[in-house]
This record gives sequence, structure tokens and C-alpha cells, in this order.
Amino acid sequence: MAQNVFPSALITALRLVLGAFFIMSGYEKLLDLKFFGLIIAEYQILPSFLIPAISLLFSLCELLCGTMLFIDLFSRFSSSVMLCMMVIFIAAMINNVMRGLEHDCGCVKFLSQWYGLKEEIGIVPIVRDILFSILLLPIALLGSNRIPWKKDRK
Amino acid sequence: MSGKPLPRKLFATLFVISLSSISPSLSQLHAAETVALVKEVSAELDLAATKALFDSHSACFVDARSEYVYYKSHIKGAISLSKSRFDEQFPDFRQKHAIETFIVVYCTEDSCGKARNVARKLMKNGYKNVRVFSGGLIEWAHAGFPMEG
Repeated sequence: MAQNVFPSALITALRLVLGAFFIMSGYEKLLDLKFFGLIIAEYQILPSFLIPAISLLFSLCELLCGTMLFIDLFSRFSSSVMLCMMVIFIAAMINNVMRGLEHDCGCVKFLSQWYGLKEEIGIVPIVRDILFSILLLPIALLGSNRIPWKKDRK
Repeated sequence: MSGKPLPRKLFATLFVISLSSISPSLSQLHAAETVALVKEVSAELDLAATKALFDSHSACFVDARSEYVYYKSHIKGAISLSKSRFDEQFPDFRQKHAIETFIVVYCTEDSCGKARNVARKLMKNGYKNVRVFSGGLIEWAHAGFPMEG
């Protein structure tokens, strides 16, 4: 039933689009880790000594999971990891909005540069991350966990 | 009889027109004086005074915006002491700068209240010579003065 609702072609399309998106997002964060770390510091949730490690972990995670999604390597696992990260980002943003803090969300700089989308924490990036979570769900639930270069046993 | 009042009327009309064209500039002048007075009272610095302090190397420049914005661009030689993370950054600042240091605080522009907020916090922590550069980074950058980041 679920397979009928989400044909494999749709899951493949979602996987490729989201994979490419997370590769770009992770790559741009890795290019300027200090900047990303300073934005994480603005959230005022983590202790200072953890920030460099967390900024590296988040950007590496985005880049690796994006690549894994793109080449269909453990897609189910990688989309689940990204889903968890999205939930963390959404919770952190809601927390900061409720505390009345104003700063960049540190989400996707290239979107704001190319399309002028707002990067400041608020309703727009929260809704955007919720949308990404919804798009990740079908892959996490129905995607494959295979290794593409290994042939399936009959 | 009817020919004589015409030049008078014309003169009167011209006088009124010229007066009305002068009055806005007069009111602007008056407004500028008031702004200058307000700034003097609240010890805020204008661009010229800030640049003079910058050139004389007699003041420490403090950037009150968020650290990640400071990281991208700031007044040359300025130190980050953001409103949002003041409590975390202040101990380090206190160690490096004596209480008598002349401090110029700025943020993005006149309407951003971060500089005034940080200035108030600095004064609460014992710093007496604190001034706010109200024009902020936008005015500084427009003037083409030294920046880095």
C-alpha cells in the first residue's frame, strides 16, 4: 500500500534532490567552519568548548549523509540521521524564537545568496526544515539500506 | 489706480515663495542642531569625531553586533563584544583592557540599539570612558574608512 503511494521513482527523485542539497549545504559549512561555529554559539544552548566539535560534526554529517543519499548507500540510515538533525535544528530554532533571540539560523547560505531567502531564525526557516523532514520521511521509511555496488542475492 | 498694487502684490508673492523655500532648510538646520545637542548630551560620537579617535589610536573600538557578523566585517582593529554573548566575552575583554580605556562602541546603524546596550553594560562594569558611535558600521563603510574581516 505504502509502496503504491510512494513509487520507487519518487523515492529516487527525493533521494537525489535532498542528497544534492545536503552535499552543498554541508560543503559550504565545512568551507567556513569558524563562521558556522559562531552561529551555533549564538543559539546559546551548547557550552563554548563543545562548539568547534559540534560544528564539525554537523557539517560532516550533512556532507556524508547527503553523499550517501545521492549514491543510494544506506539511504534509509542516512535519511534517518538527517531527520534527527532536522528535529534538532527545528527544536533549537523554536527555543531561540521563544527566547526572543535574533540571529542567522546557519541553515543554507547558498539559498539566501541565490534566491534571497531569509536566513534569520523565525517562521520561514522553521517551516523549511519541517518541509525537509516531511520529504525525508518516505526515504527513512521505505528507502533501501543496500550497498549499490553489491549485487542482491537471489 | 489698479496698476500700482500689482508690483506690490508680485513682490509680496515672491517674498512668500522665497520664505517658504528657505524655511525647510531653516528647519533642517534647527533639527540638525537639536540632533547634535542630543548626541552631545547622551555622549554619542559622530563620524568625524570617531574617525579622529581612530586616527589617533587613543580609543578601543568595540563591535556590539553578533560575533558571526563581526567575523565577516568590522572596523579595522575593533574587538567583538556582542550584546547577545556579552557575559561570555566580557571576562576576556576585562583582562585585556584597563578600566580607564577610552572605548567607542558601535553596531550596524543609528537605529540598532546594541551599541547603546553594550555601552550601558560596560559602564555598569566600571568603564567610565565609554562613547557610542551612533552612525555605526554602515556610515563608516559609506565613508570608505578602514575595515577588515
